[in-house]
Amino acid sequence: MEDWIIDLIKVVFIWVWCLLIAVVMTWVERRASAMMQDRLGPNRAGPFGLLQPLADGIKLFTKEEIIPEKAKSILYVLGPALFALPAFSAYAVVPFGDKIVLGGKEIILQVADVNIGFLYVLAIGSMGVYGMVVGGWASNNKYSILGGLRATAQLISYEVPLGLALLAVVLLYGTFSLREMVFQQSGTFLGFLPNWGFFKQPLGFILFLVAAYAEASRVPFDLPEAESELVNGYHTEYGGMKLGLYLFGEYVNLGTLSAIIVTIYFGGWQLPYVDMSAFLGPVAYGIASFLVFFLKQAFFLFLFVWVRWTVPRFRYDQLMGLGWKSLIPLCLVNFFITALLVQLTV
Amino acid sequence: MDYDPVCQIDRDPDDLVTINIGPTHPAMHGTLRVIAKTDGETIVSAEPEIGYLHRGVEKLGENFTYHQFIPLTDRMNYCSAIASNVAYEMAVEKLMGIKVPPKAQLVRTIMMELARIADHQVLVGILGVDLGALTPFFYLIIQREEIYDIFEWYNGARLTNTFGRIGGVNADLPDKFHEKWPTLRDTIRKANEETDALLTKNRIWLDRSVGVNAFSAEDALNWGFTGPCLRACGVKRDLRRDEPYMFYDQFDFKIPVGKHGDVFDRYMIRMEEMEESVKIIDQAYAMYQEMPEDAPLMAKVPKIIKPPEGECYHAIETPNGELGFWIRSDGSDKPYRIKIRPPCYMVYQAFGELVKGDMISDTIACLSSLNIIAGELDR
Amino acid sequence: MPKPVVKKEYPLTVRVYLIEIIKGLGLTWKHFVKNIRYSFRKGPHTVPTTWQYPEDRRPISPNFRGAHMLMLNDRGQELCVGCGMCARTCPAKCITVKRGKPAEGEEDRYAGKTCCEDFTIDMLRCIFCGFCEEACPKGAIVLGQGHELAEYTMEACIYDKARLLANYEAARAAGTLKPKPKKVPVDAPPPKAAAAKKSAAKAAPAARKAAKDANGAGKEAKSPEGDKK
Repeated sequence: MEDWIIDLIKVVFIWVWCLLIAVVMTWVERRASAMMQDRLGPNRAGPFGLLQPLADGIKLFTKEEIIPEKAKSILYVLGPALFALPAFSAYAVVPFGDKIVLGGKEIILQVADVNIGFLYVLAIGSMGVYGMVVGGWASNNKYSILGGLRATAQLISYEVPLGLALLAVVLLYGTFSLREMVFQQSGTFLGFLPNWGFFKQPLGFILFLVAAYAEASRVPFDLPEAESELVNGYHTEYGGMKLGLYLFGEYVNLGTLSAIIVTIYFGGWQLPYVDMSAFLGPVAYGIASFLVFFLKQAFFLFLFVWVRWTVPRFRYDQLMGLGWKSLIPLCLVNFFITALLVQLTV
Repeated sequence: MDYDPVCQIDRDPDDLVTINIGPTHPAMHGTLRVIAKTDGETIVSAEPEIGYLHRGVEKLGENFTYHQFIPLTDRMNYCSAIASNVAYEMAVEKLMGIKVPPKAQLVRTIMMELARIADHQVLVGILGVDLGALTPFFYLIIQREEIYDIFEWYNGARLTNTFGRIGGVNADLPDKFHEKWPTLRDTIRKANEETDALLTKNRIWLDRSVGVNAFSAEDALNWGFTGPCLRACGVKRDLRRDEPYMFYDQFDFKIPVGKHGDVFDRYMIRMEEMEESVKIIDQAYAMYQEMPEDAPLMAKVPKIIKPPEGECYHAIETPNGELGFWIRSDGSDKPYRIKIRPPCYMVYQAFGELVKGDMISDTIACLSSLNIIAGELDR
Repeated sequence: MPKPVVKKEYPLTVRVYLIEIIKGLGLTWKHFVKNIRYSFRKGPHTVPTTWQYPEDRRPISPNFRGAHMLMLNDRGQELCVGCGMCARTCPAKCITVKRGKPAEGEEDRYAGKTCCEDFTIDMLRCIFCGFCEEACPKGAIVLGQGHELAEYTMEACIYDKARLLANYEAARAAGTLKPKPKKVPVDAPPPKAAAAKKSAAKAAPAARKAAKDANGAGKEAKSPEGDKK
């Protein structure tokens, strides 16, 4: 098989997989929140309401496409695309499994093993804000503009702690390649803990997690859309599949962020203490590594949902205060400590 | 005391953005409208506009007989219709000099306090929703449904109860209450504890509520605040204690008082008042059980109610504050004039003052914590 | 007046956000697990707080104030005498009653000497306050448990006499007729009651008579036996 065909298959697979995660997540979000709130949630379409996302999708696709008269129509259409695309693209460098041998050919389970994958994630991750800002601006609605403004300020400020938290990881692993980072997390740490980034960087992990919540603009940082304040924030004026793209994009974003958390802090596809490749065949190992990765990712996806239905929302100024006055100093402290430890141990 | 400098910056009025918050906005309960002039996210001035739910209740009252007016009071504060019903009935009874039998008073007390709990549950839940915490709302609203079950078994309606009649009540406590109350009081407390656990110590909640639109006691009194909003400012005024009616002077209950009059204090006062209401119901229920089975529930009232010529004002402590009815009778079977003093009205007029210098998010928190009920506000 | 600024100190456990948030997560998790367990129960009403409406109907209070019905007595006679008390007491003015005499040979159909020729309730106006029920001296109009009152046309929402009688038949068949309301005890009337004159005219016990007058709505007058006098 030609290499480019394999790459194409991988790209399509990841694309579909992301979409699938997003679709299932809409169901999980609604059912899990219902369960936390003593309700039932959607349970009519299909078994356990599993077809509800499909029904929603059909609804969104068949709805009339409305572009408000006073909206800037090109930007208005561009907004959702700008939001959803980076979310998908960031997945390209995430290693979602080790490798699989098919037809005597070794295939690594990663779309592109670029040696600066890490920077790529950061760069693409911050692109998503353009979707929000453009959408908010183009809608020509005061609430949307406020949502867009909040998104800009929030995402720019939380980009800093996000990057600083990750920088400490780079110091630790000494590489920019995400795949390399996963390999370095095999074995044990201090003799009994899995050799995961989480145990070496507990503070860094918490800081990254908080910043990730802000990046994904999820509760408690869902200020750009804060439905009780700004109606629906930057996508107040949107309807139909354009709104659907914003909603899907959000979940794809969650999937990507979870994947990055797993890759960097939780050992990627590796199980703790067990080396799967030792007793599994090459095909089975590929699938198993993918499943392990997915299970870890699923936990963080659920955590996003779980936190959303537990905590209230920040206020805009408090959010900025938290970002600049708490997270960034803590990130710097973490960075300094890591640097010191790396210097002492190497 | 130092002061917030935000409002003292001179701004070019052309730089301000006017945002219409409401009348159709997810956080505007009912149909309220706030015309807010903002500088970025900061509110420079906010002007509440009322009247979107005006139905002319006072004028309608002039064309209705005294009994026919009771269903209209249901539709004022729909979160606690029973309190409005009783307030009106007591005003007419005062005008006519009717003495309501003690058992009827106890039934009224119990139902009114249940309504108070239901009202506060809605308020705390909605406050949570508006600040982004949706889950406590459901824990509380499930308990409110149980309370509404009691109302339904009492006389057949859950929301617009049309509770009581002039001169007493038209039915005894339902069996549902007797069987439900011993467990309900615990589940109400449990829901409150869960809400407490999710919110009260959560730093995000504290950030959002502590110090947000704090109000001094002096200002609150000048603006005519009553009820929980006034008590949050540190003024210990509760008509149940200060101008006791029914058996409230015999019950043992605390009046929770806040300190700063901010959103957090208003929230805490409601949480504590629910607890006190449970205590009041327990005491009233104990007194009720000592009454004989066939103790009167209605005073002797003429078939057609024709109060003597004259006027009277009577106010009671409803969940929102002092709800007063001023009734002027010309001796006919219809009131000459009814004037209602809703607690929301006085509180809402200070809204612009309350949110000045705060952020847009705080307007929402402020509005929810004041418990503005459009039906009561606009009548 | 400028607003006071509140400064509060929190303990460290509160100040670091995470501890209380984790406690909250524990609470929602408890509910989550409990409800997941519930949702595996058999039967339609699984999670105890949700009623899945069309399949799963919550019990309705026997006192419910829903769709009206015109009552018949035990012998199948219409109780309504067409006095129009309900129409007069209705705050929404949605009831129209036309009084009439029973036609020749049809006297058996009616409990009273007169009957209602026409009885219309405009359900679009009705506010379900239940005053008509209380005002009726014969207990002829009762608000039942019917609560699914949506119709496709406005005309269908105006209930005529046949429909109100059909409501009664349906409720009787379903066994959801309203129980006879308990007599409301009334404070002892003062010795010189205005009602004394009236009560002398009838043989009914004095206390009961007084109660009827006093209540204004006359709930206890609903016994069909009293109507035949």
